[in-house]
Formats: sequence, structure tokens, C-alpha cells
Amino acid sequence: MRRASPTSDPDAFLTAERLEPLLAPLAALGPAVGLAVEDAAGRVVAGVGPATLGAVEPALAVPIGPSEVPIGRVVVVGAIASPQRAAIEAAAGVLAAAIAGLVDTRVRDQVDRTRIEAELALGRRLQRSFVPLVAPEVPGWAVASHYEPAREVGGDFFDAFRPRARPRELAVVIADVTGKGIAAALLMAFARPLIHAAIDHARRPAVALERTNRILVEERRAALFITALCVYIDTRSGRFVVANAGHEPPLVLRVDGRLEEVDSSGPLLGAFPRIGLEERSGVLEPGDLLFLYTDGVTDARAPDGSRFGDVRLRSLVVGAADATARELVAAVAAGSRGFQSGEPAADDLTLVAVRRLPAG
Amino acid sequence: MALEITVEEAAASVPTSVVALTGELDASNFTELIETGRRLHAAGTRRIVLDLAGLTFLASSGLVALHSLIRILRGEAPPDPEEGWGALHSLEFDVSGGNAQSEVVLVAPQPPVDRVLERTGLKRLFRVHQDRAAGIADV
Repeated sequence: MRRASPTSDPDAFLTAERLEPLLAPLAALGPAVGLAVEDAAGRVVAGVGPATLGAVEPALAVPIGPSEVPIGRVVVVGAIASPQRAAIEAAAGVLAAAIAGLVDTRVRDQVDRTRIEAELALGRRLQRSFVPLVAPEVPGWAVASHYEPAREVGGDFFDAFRPRARPRELAVVIADVTGKGIAAALLMAFARPLIHAAIDHARRPAVALERTNRILVEERRAALFITALCVYIDTRSGRFVVANAGHEPPLVLRVDGRLEEVDSSGPLLGAFPRIGLEERSGVLEPGDLLFLYTDGVTDARAPDGSRFGDVRLRSLVVGAADATARELVAAVAAGSRGFQSGEPAADDLTLVAVRRLPAG
Repeated sequence: MALEITVEEAAASVPTSVVALTGELDASNFTELIETGRRLHAAGTRRIVLDLAGLTFLASSGLVALHSLIRILRGEAPPDPEEGWGALHSLEFDVSGGNAQSEVVLVAPQPPVDRVLERTGLKRLFRVHQDRAAGIADV
């Protein structure tokens, strides 16, 4: 442990040593964007990104702590493309709030109803803004996803991208922060760029999840856990490797209509210092589809109390065998929604389908 | 189906309560179990025998409640999952290397519940017994 308890002296707390681990995952925002924490005197205490930090007018700034007496601010510099802006703004807001919470327990104690409402609104905005902005374009492959937030903020997230310096690969991750509410949304906001960066730097999915777990456990970001499934796909050969940290195993829908489960399991993230994940591999032939989901779909409840369950999910997937990835995802989402008869969902619902397009 | 929580005291060398769960433990009710744990701890309980024989469904949120019970019985106030920022700064290490603890023991998890405990690796946190008497005796 680096620290026994939150200090009440904000100046002593805002140090590079403490802030850098918080900032590091945000490097995934992109090389053109820099992010820094300034103290009340406007000095840059810690930052990631371009060397221009502190020297140029920030593109956006978020105060840390009570707005009447901020103890510092989070600043972002660089050219922010407009589609990115909402996500970056939300990330800076969460970072500022997290630092404020760490600095002084009084911030929490003074929370009133209005503030809680504002936090919930931030959480919902955050969730939406962290959904991938663009599906990766991979020749010969189709990626489709569906994300539906619950009535109360949950903590699902997914990501699909080509890892840095491995252009043949496609990485897909789906995850579910256990529990709900703003704590789940915050942990999601923290974990998503962490996993993204871990994937960029790890050639194996088990290593990426193990690194993420180590940071979650060492930094002890939250009281909640994360189930996560990480798949690396070689887009030329179709070979895929799966690492599963407590998540629902993925399904493979073969081109001939057979449905297989990729038998995989392992401890969820955030609970144990070492998780020793085992990988499973397989091959997606042309026309095959890989389907990932969160328990929001199987746990969805009908007004009579019954659960959507594995059987309904699988029959919907098989029934959409001839559909495109996008249509399949839409069919499962519609099936789940119809099953709940319009009742508000108790949990986030996330679906991802990756199809290797038929040759020719 | 809702969750029913019943509590009984048990005679043991450590102040023990038997908490039986009937129904489904999910995102809509997992905080009720945490609240029950808080109340029992405040009333002196230091060990819970969690009877899962009647639990037909365990969602991932329910895992947070199981984990929270251990922390409550250790006298660590677990952050309220709904409270918000609190969760980020009220934590210390809790799970020591994944060794089974003795504050919460499980009794008779049914196959759907057992599968979730296995899949998520959380089963290794708990000692598991097939009947209540064995759970109470395992101090």
C-alpha cells in the first residue's frame, strides 16, 4: 500500500507519484491529446501526453473539488476531434471527481441530494460516451454491437480495435462491472482504457487481463469486481484466442448453423492478486460468427419472474444464422426487450458479434 | 421471484447467525443482503452461515453482496455500492491471496448458483458445506 488513509492536506496529496498511476491509462486517449493535473496555484503536478502541457491554453479544464474553492483542476490540451470531445470531457470530469474524493473525505460528507443527482447524470453520460465511437474497419470482417444502459447506471462496456503495432489482429473485449450505480460506472470508466492499453502492450489476452487485474488489485480502485472476456483474432487466418475472467463464455455460430460454446472460465478481475488465466483458442472459418454478451441478456426478467436464460439466447442466435452480424445483434436485443414486455431493464445489456465474412 | 432473507441465531463458540436466502439474488436486491449483514454485525454477529439451499439464481451483483458480508464481519465498513465516490477511497486490501476465510461459510449452493461461484473464481473465498449443521460446526 502506498498510502494508509486519505490525507486532509490537499497540497500534500497532489503529487506526481500519486497521480501518475491515475493518469497513465488515459494515455490511450491518443498521442495528440495531453492531460494534466494542476494544483490550486496552477502548477502542473502530473500529466500524460505532449510536452506542451502547462505551456498552452487548455482545450478544456475541469475544477477539482468544490467549485467555490477548487483545489486544482484537470486540464486537457491538444487538438480534440469533435467526436472524441464528449468522452474526453467525461473522463476529465471523472478524474477530477476521483481526485477530489481521494483528497478529502469532506467532499463526500458534504454531498447533498443535488450532487448525487448530478453524479448519476454524469454516470449515465459517461457510460454512453465510453461506448466505442467507431467500429474498426477490418477487410473481410464485420463487427456489430448493441449497448443498452439499465434504468439505474450499470457498468457494462465493450471495445473492439486493432491493437497498436499488430495490424493483423482484431481485439474484442466485453466486460461487466458487478453491482450498479455510480461506483460501477466509475470503475467502468477507469477500467476500459486500462484494458485497452493492456491489450495494446500484451501479445496474449490472458496477459492483458492479468495486468489489468494486478492494477485493479494493487490500486484497489473499487469495492466492485469486473467480469471480462478478451478475444484476440488473427484476421488473416481466423484463429482466435480467448481469455475469460469470470465472464459468460463466448459462443461461436458456425456457417452451417451449429452453435458452440468456447469453454472458458477464470477468476473475475479485482478480487485476487493473481488469477492465472488459461487461454482457449479456435478458428473462425469464413462465414463463422463469434458472439459475446453480458448477463444483462440472460438475466433479463419477464413480468412473471422468469429469466431470459441461456436456452432462449441460443435459439435466437441460431435462428439468426443467415442474418448479418448487425441483424443478429438487433434480433437478440429485440428478443430480450420483448421478453421484458417493456419493463425497464434492471441491468445493462451488451452484445457484440464478429463475423468472418464468407470468401469471395 | 423476489428474495427472502431469514435469520436465526446458532449456538457456537463465535457469535453466529444462520442467514437463509430463498429466491433470487440479483441487482434489484443485493443491497438488502448487505444491509442484513450490517444489522447483524451491529447486533454482535461475527460469523454468518449462509444457507443457499433455497437460492435459485445468483447474478453477478450478488457476488458483491457475498464479498461485502465478509468485510462487514471483519469490521471493515464496505463502501455502499450505491453511494458513489465513497467506493473510491474507503478501501484497503481485503482478500489475502484468495485463501478461504471463516467469517462467512456457505451451505448447499444449488447447481445454478454453484456454477456462477465456480465461473467467477469466488468459490475459493468460501468454505462450503452440504448441510447447515456442518456449516455451524465449522468454526
